[in-house]
Amino acid sequence: MTNYMKTIGIEVHVELKTKTKIFSPSKNGYGMGANTLTNVVDLGYPGTLPTLNEEVVNQAIKAAIVLNCKIRKEMHFDRKNYFYPDNSKNYQITQSRTPIGYDGYVEIEVEGKKKKIEIEEIHIEEDTCKSAHRKDVTLLDFNRAGVPLVEIVTKPCISSPEEAKLYIEKLRETLFYADISDCKIEEGSMRCDANISLRKKESDPFGTKVEIKNIGSISNVKLSLEKEALRQEKLLENNESFPAQTRRFDDKLNDTVLMRIKETGNDYRYFPEPDIPYLYLTDEMIEAVKKTIPLTADERREEYMARGVSKINSDKILLNRSLSDYLNKFLTTDIDFVIATNLLLGDISYYLNKHFLKLEETKLTTDKFTDLVNKLAEKTLTSKNVKDMIEDILQNEASIDEIIKDKNIVNITDDSYLEEIIAEVLENNKESIKDYLSGHDRAFKYLMGQVMKASRGSANPALASKMLEEKLQNLTID
Amino acid sequence: MSRYLEKSVLELHELLKNKVISPKDLVEEAFLRIEENEEYNAYITLNKEAALKEAEELEKIAFEEDNLLFGLPIAVKDNIVTKDLRTTCASHILDNFMPIYDATVVEKLKASHMIIIGKTNMDEFAMGSSSRTSYFGAPKNPWNKTKITGGSSGGSAATIALRDVPFALGSDTGGSIRQPASYTGIVGMKPTYGRISRYGLVAFASSLDQIGPMTKNVYENALLLNAIVGRDEKDLTSAHKKSEDFTRYIGKNIAGMKVAVPNYFMSDIVNEEIKKTVENSLSILKSSGVTVDFIDIPYLENAVTLYQIIAMGEASSNLARFDGIRYGHSKEQPESIDELYYGTREEGFGEEVKRRIMVGSYLLSGENAKEYYNKALSIRDDMRKALLDTFQNYDFILGPTTTTTAYNLEDPMDDPSKSFMDDVLVIPVNMAGLPGLNIPIGFDKEKMPIGLHIIGSPFDEAKMYGFASVLEEKLNLKLNPKGEENND
Repeated sequence: MTNYMKTIGIEVHVELKTKTKIFSPSKNGYGMGANTLTNVVDLGYPGTLPTLNEEVVNQAIKAAIVLNCKIRKEMHFDRKNYFYPDNSKNYQITQSRTPIGYDGYVEIEVEGKKKKIEIEEIHIEEDTCKSAHRKDVTLLDFNRAGVPLVEIVTKPCISSPEEAKLYIEKLRETLFYADISDCKIEEGSMRCDANISLRKKESDPFGTKVEIKNIGSISNVKLSLEKEALRQEKLLENNESFPAQTRRFDDKLNDTVLMRIKETGNDYRYFPEPDIPYLYLTDEMIEAVKKTIPLTADERREEYMARGVSKINSDKILLNRSLSDYLNKFLTTDIDFVIATNLLLGDISYYLNKHFLKLEETKLTTDKFTDLVNKLAEKTLTSKNVKDMIEDILQNEASIDEIIKDKNIVNITDDSYLEEIIAEVLENNKESIKDYLSGHDRAFKYLMGQVMKASRGSANPALASKMLEEKLQNLTID
Repeated sequence: MSRYLEKSVLELHELLKNKVISPKDLVEEAFLRIEENEEYNAYITLNKEAALKEAEELEKIAFEEDNLLFGLPIAVKDNIVTKDLRTTCASHILDNFMPIYDATVVEKLKASHMIIIGKTNMDEFAMGSSSRTSYFGAPKNPWNKTKITGGSSGGSAATIALRDVPFALGSDTGGSIRQPASYTGIVGMKPTYGRISRYGLVAFASSLDQIGPMTKNVYENALLLNAIVGRDEKDLTSAHKKSEDFTRYIGKNIAGMKVAVPNYFMSDIVNEEIKKTVENSLSILKSSGVTVDFIDIPYLENAVTLYQIIAMGEASSNLARFDGIRYGHSKEQPESIDELYYGTREEGFGEEVKRRIMVGSYLLSGENAKEYYNKALSIRDDMRKALLDTFQNYDFILGPTTTTTAYNLEDPMDDPSKSFMDDVLVIPVNMAGLPGLNIPIGFDKEKMPIGLHIIGSPFDEAKMYGFASVLEEKLNLKLNPKGEENND
């Protein structure tokens, strides 16, 4: 079988996080009763006119900045004319000729190598209403009509389904951490279309383009492109040609299915929107927006790794914005970040997930967390102790010291108590003492294990080890 | 019953102030007159019940001595939405449409305690220049029932000429206020684009549409404009302008002013009688110390072509929302979504509207947008610059408002370009976003009114009113088609 080169391009629609809609004062919200977030503008009533939400322009500028785009200073909106029931004016207000951002990129890492995925353009547009088909009727919910979107279009520069997946992941992380969108694919606040064509070698013209619409999850981006590439390969191997077409990914069939053959020259009769004057951006406006951008995902990752956290754990923290935001509170302190991330990803996440809680809803103050991390670092607490205490740490106002006292967490740093345990262990393991004395290192480890076991894991290992060693050395002298 | 509505607004204000009459008397008289004048078909919907109730309510609140519009009746063109008052745009597709909000201008009228008497007849969606494309039949010219009123604001023009009400609102996309004002012998102003909020004006061609006042004289026109202008946050194309009194130059000396008359406006396209009447006015102006120069202004002769491209292109998109889904006429029992669209629009729109939607769609299709629409926008800029340049040297540009006087209702409608040629002298003003004012300056042999078109530089309406008022006073025409009152 021939080795085909894949050419992939991706279009992503992202709903912007704003208080109100793009062209009307209606609230921008999700999950409300049908048609409760609408007004005469959203419904396309005769005589209504669009206003322009400044927040939308600022969010779009932000998106252009974090995606390394050039920003257009003079722009306008255009009308895209087409009849469809989800489109109340039967035209959509978009930017066809003057997209706000262009010539940007997103950097991904493919098998250890960095690659820039080039972004052709970002433009602002309004979302359509949501239609639900029930038997022989179609119901329309205009809550989504006029929700602000940016559409982000890559150049056809993605060469594998894996790269496509990495691009979407990186894009999502970038937009999410810049507070541009909540990027929830399942709620439709991030929607993804991909197109793919195959050819034998670089010098060949591009093959026939197939678009896969509305891919429902990040993993399906990769999967659907792999399946589609395979399907096209088979056709090409058999010298079968196929028309440009739109397909969708069917989860059950685990393959792409034909939606429609592309009609040539879809005519949207674009023209400049006469109801919205030209928009002029200044350097000051762009600078002001720049200042509102929080620490990016890349910057966060760099900080964590500089503090010794592994890449895997840094990535894991970044998957949960609230953990990352929490951890960032300690960037200016000197706590041990390795221990801190282990705690956040381990016992704390486990408890939060089990109880459907958010970190912000717990009683874990920064002082308490600092104390906890430091005690673990000093080994005055063990991870076993933390497991026993976790509920109290997260749910009680009490300080760590108070919890230790209340829960009767044994004071393991108490020499006399440890001495008792060690004496008992030595008494019961005469054979091991002999082994140790005759130079077997393993025997020490075994004895240490017994000490920890006898203390039910609550002994301070450093102290216990030191004391055990002293005891054994005394035995030698005897 | 005594009659008052022929009187000037100042006189009505005194009568109201001295409690000789009440707002309710005026509202009742207006409906009586409208009933007497029913054959003129000036209205589509009357607001009788609500208007009488509002008049009664007004009697309970303190009379506003400083508000000359207090308690006075007004007619509103039926493409301006009025909450709970049917708004049809003279189209079958909206003949059951009851708006749930008020246009910004309507809110302003209500804030001035004016009383809306009804919604006036017009060309369907303001597309036409004789008001004959109305689904509700054409209005008739008060000077001669066999003649057209002009259009598209024909009903508003007729009801003012008939003295049913002292005030009316019209809208002007390509002459729709000034041309019918000229045909019916009244004063009509199309203000600068952006002067008045378009929020609630059902869009025909968004970059050209503008609401404006229609009255029996210049002063009252300025008064109504005072009440309806201003930046509106709901209309991004409305201008940020400080409030001003548009009556402030009325009656002031005009000596030393310079006006330009484009040769094209006095060329063969204009009827001889009209040219003579305009020349008479120019002589009066000269004797008042005004300099009159005949000049050439480029692009004026292209205005109609450009207008057709831009207006029809925008209209094809603006009228797409009438699909039978959310409001208005809807095809019964459609088998499919396409049948709903086709059926609703086929049944709902009249011939002229369909023709313009089709031509407009064609003009924006594929490569045509670049070939026609974009090119038209760019030539439009050149035309605007040429007109603005003229104002470097002249206070106003003058000419006749129309090339003929009102023609017969029975004249054929089969030449679609004729309708645009009716507006050849007024369209450049919309294209350049300038203010344009019609005032009556005489009559032809058949006693049909002739109008002068005064074009000003942007936002110069106050000066235009001042200039017009001087000529109005010197001409002292008798402008009531049924009576003998002077135009005061």
